[in-house]
Amino acid sequence: MVIKHHPWMGGPSDAPAKTFPEGNAYTPRMLRIESVSKRFRSGNYGARDISFSVKGGVLGLLGPNGAGKTTLMQMIATVTKPTAGKIFFRDIDILANPDELRRRLGYLPQDFGVYDNLTAHEFLSYFAALKGVRGKAKIGEMLEMVNLHHVASRAVGGFSGGMKQRLGIAQALINDPDLVIVDEPTAGLDPEERVRFRNVLSDLGEGRLVILSTHIVSDVESIATEIAIMKEGSLVALSTPENLMRAAEGTVWEAVLPSEQFDQVRKTMNISGAVRKSDGVHARIVSNEQPVPQAVHAEPTLEDAFLFTMKGGVGGAQRAERVA
Amino acid sequence: MSERLHRLIAIVRADFLIRLRRPSTIVVFLLLSAVPYLWIPKPSTGRALMQIGGQRVLYNSAAIGMATAMLGTIFIGLAAFYVVSNALRRDVLSRCGYVIASTTMRGSEYIIGKFAGNVVFLSVFMGGFMLTSMAMVLVRGEAPLEPLVFIGQYLMLVPPAIVFVSAAAILFESTPLLRSKAGDVFYFFFWIMVMTTVTVTMEKGGGGNWAPYFDVSGMGVLLRQMKDYYNTNSLSIGSSSFDAAKGTLDFGGLRLTGYWLSTRLVATLWPMVMLLGARVFFHRFDPARVRATPNEKARRSWLGRINFMAKPIARLIVHAGNTLVSASGRASLLRSAMTDALTTIAAFPLTAVAMIGLAIAALSMDAKSLLTGLMPLALAFCAIAIADIASREKRAGTTALVFATPSLRTNFVLWKFTSTLIVALAFLAIPLARAIALQPSSALPLLVGILFTTAAATTLGIISSNPKTFIVAFLTFWYITTQDKGLSPKLDFAGWFGTATPLVIATYAALALVMLLGAGVFHGWELRRRW
Repeated sequence: MVIKHHPWMGGPSDAPAKTFPEGNAYTPRMLRIESVSKRFRSGNYGARDISFSVKGGVLGLLGPNGAGKTTLMQMIATVTKPTAGKIFFRDIDILANPDELRRRLGYLPQDFGVYDNLTAHEFLSYFAALKGVRGKAKIGEMLEMVNLHHVASRAVGGFSGGMKQRLGIAQALINDPDLVIVDEPTAGLDPEERVRFRNVLSDLGEGRLVILSTHIVSDVESIATEIAIMKEGSLVALSTPENLMRAAEGTVWEAVLPSEQFDQVRKTMNISGAVRKSDGVHARIVSNEQPVPQAVHAEPTLEDAFLFTMKGGVGGAQRAERVA
Repeated sequence: MSERLHRLIAIVRADFLIRLRRPSTIVVFLLLSAVPYLWIPKPSTGRALMQIGGQRVLYNSAAIGMATAMLGTIFIGLAAFYVVSNALRRDVLSRCGYVIASTTMRGSEYIIGKFAGNVVFLSVFMGGFMLTSMAMVLVRGEAPLEPLVFIGQYLMLVPPAIVFVSAAAILFESTPLLRSKAGDVFYFFFWIMVMTTVTVTMEKGGGGNWAPYFDVSGMGVLLRQMKDYYNTNSLSIGSSSFDAAKGTLDFGGLRLTGYWLSTRLVATLWPMVMLLGARVFFHRFDPARVRATPNEKARRSWLGRINFMAKPIARLIVHAGNTLVSASGRASLLRSAMTDALTTIAAFPLTAVAMIGLAIAALSMDAKSLLTGLMPLALAFCAIAIADIASREKRAGTTALVFATPSLRTNFVLWKFTSTLIVALAFLAIPLARAIALQPSSALPLLVGILFTTAAATTLGIISSNPKTFIVAFLTFWYITTQDKGLSPKLDFAGWFGTATPLVIATYAALALVMLLGAGVFHGWELRRRW
């Protein structure tokens, strides 16, 4: 499915202004992506005809595994080139002049590894040098920021997953970037570490653009100023969390279902959440029509909005069968 | 300091520290440093390190320096490639390469940085080896230590080999077809070819103008200088018996005239041409060109395609093996080892094809051809097939998963050894059976040879976490053994040439057990340290 000018998208579209009123009309933005595609030699598309533009803040890139988030981020980070389309950073074509972005870029790839035998300080010094950053003070400052200063002289091979990720974010920020790209940074982290990491990213959004990819909605709902939803290599939505939730209004239902009925409903409906309690299963169902007689309307959450969008969104009209 | 130089120094420093702190570096250094002690016999035993024209060379700084430098050069050429050929791969696997690709660093800067990292590491490594070798002048010397003379011999011989290997490692890592197990094996023969072509040409007096400039191993220099300055072609390095009646020779060392200086400089510089090739093929961590994990792209390589085509045959063997494993009842170490062995065949289906090919060849051969021709070849193929069994978990990151299985944590070495032995026996079953049927006396040495090989594969795999260590150690030993053709009974470890004495056979069996015990001790230490 190719949605080049979906109503939720910003960017240089022919008719973006008739969509949501807040901030989607084209204005000069930090990052502009025009009809970008990545086709691999196998013939498969990693990303397909993607267009959008964003200014500062935190852009949450949501989508299931294999949606093309990583490929899109790698193209923006100049790690791989698109097979079609253009990417502009502050109106500079970064495919023609990648260094213009690279000087202002911080990138934390998915499943970022470390060199086990280096200490945290040595590891960070290495990346600081690669990015042209001089001075030990900056390294100490970054280690302090990610709360690793007390283990600066320890080999990073012995670090926990969370500590390694924090070291990863420190290397991404060491050159004080304007654009920060973090790919699935919370994967494998425990809940406490996940919240801490989220807060760090939220603070980063001030005065720069942070692109954060995840397939977990809760990772972005509290920090993202805009959310892009990807599916099968295409961008299916781009808007603020509020607008996404507003679009899902009237399609989210809550119902308490007996266990057996829930099992049946689950097979035919889009369930965005369920909690088993003594009186039955408290389920949230995304559906254009009342899914079961006892269902009542509920306020959409971002999780609901995500599911709503993934299953076809406003115009998609995927009508679930009513279960008696 | 310019930004580029700053980056270059950072790459060299990081690579150096990463390698220096690896336990395997220390193990290899200690082993290499121990070699001169074993290699340089006391003249009172009737054996000597070096003879020129049949005369024993006095143990002075020049002689010991030159001999150990030659040993170092052989190590650099054969083993060091495998030690340093992970510089790019490390960045691919850790995904640090993606970050590197997102910086302003040029591809050429990275290639030069990694090359310089290899050169610095190998130079420091050889410097350490040189210092420990100097001690041999104090221990066994027949003249005072002259450090400058000693160092001079190293400077004359070693730098071209270091540069050659450092550049070749980067080229092989950058080039799609060469950055694989097949590339590792190819390098071994590539080095042997470069070394022997130049050396043989110079020894025969040919290539007068060009050959010395390509002599990266230094062997040709050695032979040419013997001819020029000592008027002989007879040079022996390595412990050998001597005729005391011929007297001794006070060797002054290799001479560094203007001509030799220019040849050694050119031999040091030309290998850097390989860096141009590396730059052309360098992927700059583009995920469309190189991946952190094996995937469908692996199937697109020529080796991958052959493997893919061999799958149906491997499936038959794996299916038969699985039936056998299922029939063996409850879980046991042997059953786990069989499963692991089948995984090897399933993961590398070419093994199955090789098994069948060797079986067909074995059935049509006489005893001599089988023992001296096919069996050595079969064991070499087998060694490549079993090389990564012991280090597979560490490389795939599944060690924790394996350690969660009952008994595998504590019996890991035994499990891996059994699995390796099963693959080796399956691989060699028909040639082995045929050889024993034709010549029953070959049974024991052949089995001990397989035991020794599998124990070495297991031990080196566990200690170094890398299949390359075993591949290079075994192929080097294999090459020496097959070239010796049984002239030295001590080298006939698998009895291929029928010269292995019972003591030799018993020694290799004992060595196999000692290696496995060593692996057990190392594994226990690792468990305490990491798990």
